[in-house]
Amino acid sequence: MPISDEPAINLPQRGDEGGGGGTARAAGSGACLAPSAESIIRIDHITKIFKNRQTVVAVDDVTFEVQRGEIFGLLGPNGAGKSTLIRILTTLLQPTSGRACVDTFDIHAEPEKIRSIIGVCPQNSTLDVELTAYDNLEFYGKLVNVDDALLDARIWQLLKMAGLDDRAHMKVQTFSGGMRRKLEIVRAFIHHPLILFLDEPTIGLDPESRREVWEQIASLNAERTTIILTTHYMEEAERLCNRIAFVDKGRLIALDVLENLKRLIPAGDLLEIGFETMTEVVVSAIRQVGLVNSVEEKGQKLIISAKNGSRVLPAIVAIFEKYSLPISSISIHSPSLEDVFIYLTGRKLDDGGNGEAQQKGGRRRP
Amino acid sequence: MIRGAIAIFKRDFKKFLGNPYVLVFTLLMPIMYLVIFGNAMGGTISHVPIGVAQEGPPYTQTPLFNDAVDALMHLQPQRDNPRMFDVTVYTDETTAKNDLSEGRISGVVVFPSEVSSDHAVRMYLDSSDYMVPTLVQSGVGAALSKIGAHNPVQVNNIYGDIKYIQFFGVGVIVMAIFMTTMMGGGIALIKDREMGIHEGYLVTPVKRSSIILGMISSGTVRAFLAGFIIFGVGILITGIIMRSMEDFLLVLLVIFIASIGVTSLMVSIASRFSNQQEYASTTAFFNLILFMTSGAFYPTIGMPDWLRWITIINPEWYSVHALRSIILRGQGLAVVGPDLIALLVFSILAISLGILTYRRTLE
Repeated sequence: MPISDEPAINLPQRGDEGGGGGTARAAGSGACLAPSAESIIRIDHITKIFKNRQTVVAVDDVTFEVQRGEIFGLLGPNGAGKSTLIRILTTLLQPTSGRACVDTFDIHAEPEKIRSIIGVCPQNSTLDVELTAYDNLEFYGKLVNVDDALLDARIWQLLKMAGLDDRAHMKVQTFSGGMRRKLEIVRAFIHHPLILFLDEPTIGLDPESRREVWEQIASLNAERTTIILTTHYMEEAERLCNRIAFVDKGRLIALDVLENLKRLIPAGDLLEIGFETMTEVVVSAIRQVGLVNSVEEKGQKLIISAKNGSRVLPAIVAIFEKYSLPISSISIHSPSLEDVFIYLTGRKLDDGGNGEAQQKGGRRRP
Repeated sequence: MIRGAIAIFKRDFKKFLGNPYVLVFTLLMPIMYLVIFGNAMGGTISHVPIGVAQEGPPYTQTPLFNDAVDALMHLQPQRDNPRMFDVTVYTDETTAKNDLSEGRISGVVVFPSEVSSDHAVRMYLDSSDYMVPTLVQSGVGAALSKIGAHNPVQVNNIYGDIKYIQFFGVGVIVMAIFMTTMMGGGIALIKDREMGIHEGYLVTPVKRSSIILGMISSGTVRAFLAGFIIFGVGILITGIIMRSMEDFLLVLLVIFIASIGVTSLMVSIASRFSNQQEYASTTAFFNLILFMTSGAFYPTIGMPDWLRWITIINPEWYSVHALRSIILRGQGLAVVGPDLIALLVFSILAISLGILTYRRTLE
């Protein structure tokens, strides 16, 4: 098995490498009974290797679960393997080894069952530009078995949602990139899917449209739709996702809720407290507070580095009050997801620098 | 300017070399043209099936009959060539004519009895075929002069005088069907693949049989319309006369079933390709083989055996045969029935192949 021999990064998920492929696949038929009510997707040691002229390991022994009703974020630079993973889960690609379950269905054994419960918005536009907006939605509505009696009303509802109701009968080729993207997103949930896969949903959208899309996603999630989202926009992941998985070079390198991911950085949060006068006693008292790493005086500000900013703040404020020193300002800077990613991989999230993986975002011929 | 031109040249040439499939077909096409065109159109016609009968009563065979049949059986246009006729001896004229009208033989030669008043040799020829009637006529002439008989010869074209344009016009209906399917048949599937649109509908529960059947239905309707229009135009240009409403409807039925057959073939080819160029070269290749061996241009009887084998699996051959039977010979369902069954069997095979080879994933 061509799994690279690099050591695993701080993750318990990596299993024994020898047993991955064949055995899992052999046992893979129909054994996807939901083990717990919470998890809706279970991925078990999935590996995907593309053999074209070059061999590319797009997904490398990835294991995780997605919980029912959450918004799950897959974050990583271009070519990290996010789209490949989505394509495996949406039955478009077969994994080289490993198995996965979507709801109670195995991706090998019952792909057609999976297709009827998912909605997908792929990364590349898959609208038929020679058809009108309405016709595109109608086409998909029929393919995903929306009741004919409800279809027309549903299409108009979605067109309004996307702000395209005045252009319903215009061909998609006359639409701007943002309009196409919005149409593609609403198309993905025309049939109220149980699970919605959004592959870079807001790519190329202006800030306002992006916010609209975020609102749509949040409101869909409020109706108990599980959403799996890939993105390389930090802000998007921070705003929307309950749990975030970092993917890099086909590997899962971290998976947790936002706050816990941020705690992976030992430096923690930065607290800035403005003051008028300062005494040495106060500084040393603050140094004694648990979780505080360092305290530094900079002009009229005290820069405090602490593991968990919001938790130490009351103690610090209490010290100021004890010595009757007025506080002129308080601010807490949490490290951004970007900082976490740089910490984990040593690279920036959107530099896409690993050229070999770059090509994988596009379409691929066998 | 030169720099730009070189860059454009290099880009185009790299693409050309990067696609060996198209490269092979580009070279294969002229070679196939040579082999197929050369053999289909230039072959000497031999083994023409004809029937001979002795006029009566009395039905006793005359010396003329015996000598002439012997001469016909051994007639060779040149030395070492295959025999020109496959002669069947009929005991009576009616059975022979019956076989002629059902297309089993291309002509009947009836020799006069001894009591005949004018001693004329009568010939009944299947004039719906191109070249063959003239060939039979000259062959019989040659045989008679060889045995030194000077009987007058009477020629009856059983389907009247049929011009080449009428013979060919029927074949063009099938060509119209083929051209439509080449342009439209499976190309939408390939366009979807090229643009990545298929990724959108492959994640829906739609079945691959639905995809293939949907494509075939739409292609069939288009091909049928094209065939129908060319049929109408053909009536105006070539002066074909439809004998009855039933014949007209039967022609439409044949065009429809032929459309299903040819479209299914094209869609099943398209089910595997992801590049329009590859598809275009492949269909052009099929177009050549199938149309050349369909008998639309030239009677298949003139083709070498190996080429004639292709006609057995060629839906266009059955279509051309069926259309000619109805339009030129006025024959009915009894004759075209087997053609229609063959077309349907072919369609079912092609549809199954298309469904089985269609990839439901991106791999």
